[in-house]
Amino acid sequence: MRGVAGYVWADSPLHRASAAAKLAGLVACVALVVLATTPLELAVAAGGVAALVALSRVGWRAAARAAWGLRWFLLMVLALNALLFSDVDPIFSLGPAHLTCEGLAQGVRIVVRTLLVIVLGTLLTATTRPQELVEGVRRLLRPLGRIGLPTEAAALAVGVTVQFVPTLLRESRQLMRAQEIRCGNVATLGIMRRAVSYIRLLVPIFVSAVRRADELSVAMEARGYRLSSPRASADGKERKLRP
Amino acid sequence: MSQVKRIVIAAVCAALCIVLPMAFHSIPNAGATWLPMHIPVMISGLVAGPVAGAVTGVLGPVLSSLLTGMPAAPMVAPMTCELLTYGLVAGLLAKFVRTGNVTVDLYVSLVGAMLAGRVVNGVLRALIFSPGAYSLEAWVAASFVTSLVGIVLQLAVVVPIVVSLERAGLVPPRYPEKDA
Repeated sequence: MRGVAGYVWADSPLHRASAAAKLAGLVACVALVVLATTPLELAVAAGGVAALVALSRVGWRAAARAAWGLRWFLLMVLALNALLFSDVDPIFSLGPAHLTCEGLAQGVRIVVRTLLVIVLGTLLTATTRPQELVEGVRRLLRPLGRIGLPTEAAALAVGVTVQFVPTLLRESRQLMRAQEIRCGNVATLGIMRRAVSYIRLLVPIFVSAVRRADELSVAMEARGYRLSSPRASADGKERKLRP
Repeated sequence: MSQVKRIVIAAVCAALCIVLPMAFHSIPNAGATWLPMHIPVMISGLVAGPVAGAVTGVLGPVLSSLLTGMPAAPMVAPMTCELLTYGLVAGLLAKFVRTGNVTVDLYVSLVGAMLAGRVVNGVLRALIFSPGAYSLEAWVAASFVTSLVGIVLQLAVVVPIVVSLERAGLVPPRYPEKDA
């Protein structure tokens, strides 16, 4: 199980850009990738994402880490589309499965789109510190606060979620390694036994995650954090913590 | 439980909505069969209330799609509505169902949420997301046949996890007077 990249230290235009701009850019880029259908449009989108990776200076390995973790899933998506998408003019047929050029093209389209979205998401977390991300979400949601929506809670929730993903991935890996030491390599087991081995890990994963949530909320409240009060922002403009 | 802790638990469960499917994706078609994203949403609703459950239900699929590409973009809206319903209804039922027995309370809330989420998902797909192309058979197949393993998994693990969290003292007990 490989994960979403955490923050990668580097000095690049993407690292220096504001989190709000990066978030808005991510949403726009994802929309463009989803709308790309022809090979030319997908190639242009892939070129754009490659340029962003180069610009970010996080390294190709770090940018591709999350996508590599989903390689088997993406291969399966490609195979299912290639075999089941169409039955017109098949290259070969086996029972209900027909390998067609149209199906293959559809599979490649979906896999390329998914890969590009994954890399874009990885770039956001690799070039933005969690605190900056919270501030970015808060800034983007600020207009909604005027109509009474709890933007502070939403920004906190997004920030904590993004911050916890690498932590929980690391803890899950540690629990899986501990299980491998006790029971052998999970990857060599059959599908059902592999699934059962993951299920056994659910209780310790949840207990560990909620324990971390408990510790974090206690620490935040001990330092005077209240959802209703203004607080220090990443740029230091607001520094009014409740005494 | 304070408001900050509710939000933090909702966020941590949303992070688990991203992490758990990554583990299960090494198993073919695991997303539709094992429903790993549903479990943190139900647990968030049951332990932290309806708002936290709804927040987890929204953040989980949206952030997972943005950060990992899964679920694929066209699936995000229907899945978000479904998961939001799971979290919201699980939290509401956990709040109002009081039989005096923790396990019964939690199972009633869990099953109620599972049914409500599937009904909302079917109605939204039939009326908004796939109008004219979604049949009752497709809904039954997707909601109860393909995901049968996931349903059994949820029934088997969600309540024991919530009870474990109560016993570990990480969430307030439902019936503190009994524990005293």
